[in-house]
Amino acid sequence: MAVETTKFPGQPESDPDLDMGQALLAQERRERLIQTVKIGVVWVGLIIFLTIALLQFNFDPAYVFKHFGFVLQGLPITIGVSLASIAFATILALLGAVARLSNNSIAQGISGFYVSIIRGTPLLIQIYIIYNGLPQIGTALIAKGLPQIGHLFILTAIQSGILALSLNYGAYMTEIFRAGIQSISGGQREAAESIGMNRVQILRRITLPQAVRVIIPDIANQFIAMQKDSALVSFMGIWEMTYRANRFARQDSKFMEMFVVAAILYWLLTIVSSWLEGILEKRMRHAYER
Amino acid sequence: MKKIYLVVTLLSIFGLVLSSCSTGPAAAKDKLAEILARGTLLVSTDPAYPPQSQLQEGGQRAATTKCASDQHTASELTGFDIDVAVAIANKLGVEACFVTPDWTLITGGNWSNRWDISIGSMTITPERMNKLYFTQPYYTTPAAFFVNNANTTYTQPSDLSGKKIGGATGTTYDSYLAGTLQIPGETINLVVNNAQFVGYETDLNALQDLALGDGVRLDAVLTAQPTGAGAIKDGLPLKQLGDPVFFEYLAGAVDKASTPDPVPFLKKVSEVIQGLNSNGTLLQFSQKYYGVDLTTAAASFDLAALNQWP
Repeated sequence: MAVETTKFPGQPESDPDLDMGQALLAQERRERLIQTVKIGVVWVGLIIFLTIALLQFNFDPAYVFKHFGFVLQGLPITIGVSLASIAFATILALLGAVARLSNNSIAQGISGFYVSIIRGTPLLIQIYIIYNGLPQIGTALIAKGLPQIGHLFILTAIQSGILALSLNYGAYMTEIFRAGIQSISGGQREAAESIGMNRVQILRRITLPQAVRVIIPDIANQFIAMQKDSALVSFMGIWEMTYRANRFARQDSKFMEMFVVAAILYWLLTIVSSWLEGILEKRMRHAYER
Repeated sequence: MKKIYLVVTLLSIFGLVLSSCSTGPAAAKDKLAEILARGTLLVSTDPAYPPQSQLQEGGQRAATTKCASDQHTASELTGFDIDVAVAIANKLGVEACFVTPDWTLITGGNWSNRWDISIGSMTITPERMNKLYFTQPYYTTPAAFFVNNANTTYTQPSDLSGKKIGGATGTTYDSYLAGTLQIPGETINLVVNNAQFVGYETDLNALQDLALGDGVRLDAVLTAQPTGAGAIKDGLPLKQLGDPVFFEYLAGAVDKASTPDPVPFLKKVSEVIQGLNSNGTLLQFSQKYYGVDLTTAAASFDLAALNQWP
């Protein structure tokens, strides 16, 4: 009669259960890899299909290769506008979230109003109001003898674009920041209070460092969305990618060609951005992984 | 309460950062003096209308320029309007800098002094005269109907009554088809009645749709003769229908609400334009971009008849 030997973890002899588990894991990995490769093949197939389909209908690839550089020159503007806007939006969102979570009714009222009004109106309307509407107030103020304040309301195209994108994304990100701050348990706050930290110290030393880790992916998503929304500022005549594609296409009536170029550039930009976001996310998670 | 002060402070810093780039204009006694002191003539143009104004591929920003960073130098654009603007600026002894807002922003007036003048082939209309002052016209444009090559039933513009006609929204072609067009110094002969107007962002979009086939999306397009001719030269299967139905006088425009007083500036620019017309500079540009003389007729336009300022 065979005696069942008890296995303890860490024993040097091979364990048939463990081996089987590892084999299963390896199998699973292989299957995942095969699945990924299959999906990749479908992507390549779709891209080839779309390219061939386009080429059947009077699409001029030589024109694309000859002129894509002109659209590409708008890339730094697109990136610059997005970067500046996400920076200002982050500041606004932090202020908004702190105000929303405070007990002060005025602060809560202001930030609630801000989030509601911005999220409830189209970004294009906000751009119109800032670029076309505000100067009306500005000129009225100048006429009333307040030129310094009046000129604050008359913004150039770039300033208007950055302000509109910052205000808009600041409102959405206020909610993201609020959720991030709320995700840090109240016990930590109480512990910090018990050792005598004031509210600013708690926010800066305890809550924010942890909250930022949670909200980084969401901020990055907002940044990616903003890169595409920045196309709206072309209306004011900022020479970013959409403007360049649109105005250039008109010269030779090559709309499909130039807009496909712009679309591909935006697509590549967002792919690179989400890849960078993945790296950043992995780094932020580092301390929490074993 | 401390937090509110913090919020207010940060918001005002935000505002200051935004505004720090825009410098308030120095006090000058009129617009002309301000421009001469600044050394730049800030011109608005929408580079969506070749050959009047288009983007210059490979055009680099001029190395030494007085233009602000969000303005463009003449080397980045090309076209008839651009050449005229540069010629005017040269005569004034300043550098031409360009901004490119949407066309509707230019015609609407209330520019808030963001730019000095529009050199954008703008037709003089009574409606626009409410918002804008016009300079002496620097050329004229015949407006004509275009139809698809495949069409054989239309022989003259009056055949288009009741048809689907495309054009750029807010243009004189829009007003002509609506029967409301008035051009100072010209009697408009409305030959097309009850047309179904289809509005487009620009004339070229309309021409594109017309090129899709006779009656597919449009039966005809009303646009500038040079614009239509340019589209035909680029290979669109279109043809002009009959003679031009009206002529437009195209001039520079200045916002009436400009500060300080823009009238001396307007008079000076008008003088410069007449000078460029009589010395053959404008004719040379017209030959270069259109291959025909569109400019000489503009010199006989009586600007004083517009009665724009006291």
